[in-house]
Amino acid sequence: MKKTFLWSLVIGGTSLLYIGCSKEPLDNLTTEESRIYITDHDSTVNFTNYSTYSISDSVAVIDNGHATLELDNTDAAYIDAVKKYMSVAGFTLVSKDQAPDLGLNVNNIINTTTGVISYDDYWNNYGGYWDPYYWGYSGYGYYVPYAYSVYQVSEGAISVNLLDLKNAAASNKIDVVWTGLIRGPGIFDPNVADGRVKALFDQSPYLKTN
Amino acid sequence: MKKIKTVFALMSAFMFVALTTNAQKGTLQMNLNYNYGIPSGSFNSDLISNGSPRGGRGSIMYNFTDHLSAGLESGYQDFYQKYPRDLYHLSNSQDVSAVLSNSIQTTPLLIKAKYALTNNSGVKPYVSLAAGANMINFRQYFGEFSNTQTSTGFLAQGGLGVMIPFSKSGHSGINIGASYDYAPYNKNGYTNLNTINLQAGVIFPIH
Repeated sequence: MKKTFLWSLVIGGTSLLYIGCSKEPLDNLTTEESRIYITDHDSTVNFTNYSTYSISDSVAVIDNGHATLELDNTDAAYIDAVKKYMSVAGFTLVSKDQAPDLGLNVNNIINTTTGVISYDDYWNNYGGYWDPYYWGYSGYGYYVPYAYSVYQVSEGAISVNLLDLKNAAASNKIDVVWTGLIRGPGIFDPNVADGRVKALFDQSPYLKTN
Repeated sequence: MKKIKTVFALMSAFMFVALTTNAQKGTLQMNLNYNYGIPSGSFNSDLISNGSPRGGRGSIMYNFTDHLSAGLESGYQDFYQKYPRDLYHLSNSQDVSAVLSNSIQTTPLLIKAKYALTNNSGVKPYVSLAAGANMINFRQYFGEFSNTQTSTGFLAQGGLGVMIPFSKSGHSGINIGASYDYAPYNKNGYTNLNTINLQAGVIFPIH
């Protein structure tokens, strides 16, 4: 009886150690701390060679590989914020009919059914979300010269992509020269769009015209 | 591998010397300890510098003589640290701004030998050696997004302490000790999970 009690004490104590003595990292994060900002770029590109850009007038909502274009308050807030910080970086906004050096797309990436899609998949279908015809390059493909697959996208994310239109005709493809990805809770809120986009530009000091 | 062989050779020699010096009828003892783990070396500088008050160790030891006991030890320790938001360069072109959290749980399963330096009825100082497997669960969070790796590594331990008996019979008592865990961990550029451990608990006979 005494032995049974002792063994129960040991096994019970060990179980309690496992269950009760761990500090759960997610319980110790605020909403702001939960968010991450990822940027990547073509390190061979000198952004001072570009001066003008055009931005799409709507946002691609990419849901499990299928895209629709929309423009609600949140979308408009993100587009406005991107315009603001492109201007701060020295780039000039022109219409897409004025041969811009760069094209800008904003995307909401949502996944609701398959659980996990990878960012690789996102890039593989990019031509389906944004037909190169939109930028005046019908039949062209997109090219991403860097790997962008550290994190899988399993919930909402907002991406901003900068496309090289200046050299598209010469290379017969549209290079994606910079991307920014915002992930985490509370990002689909028009009131926070400015701060989120600012974070992407702040960590990309090379993105400037001089 | 050379270090692992050295540890096992030391343990074998340690047990052989003790067994040949004093042979008595054995008893089985249990030792339950609260454990405070302090990361040292590159574990401290590269992963987690905070000490961990969340852990425990337990062992069942057979007394081969009045001086020597040997048996199995296991335990659990939870290490955690959150770092303020910073910019991490993941490649030549990729940057991530995030609050970084490291969360590491270790569960060693060791063969242990303990040698009491005196045989009187009072406070008994001892030294110990142990070696075995170390099960590791490593979660690294960028914001709320985690990367989890589970693995099993080697662990060698050297320790010392005192056993303060409750009575003159000396079968039960309080244990106070410290140990150093050498735990190689060669993943993601990290090299070890070495720790200094401070322990306090009880020893009591179970057979």
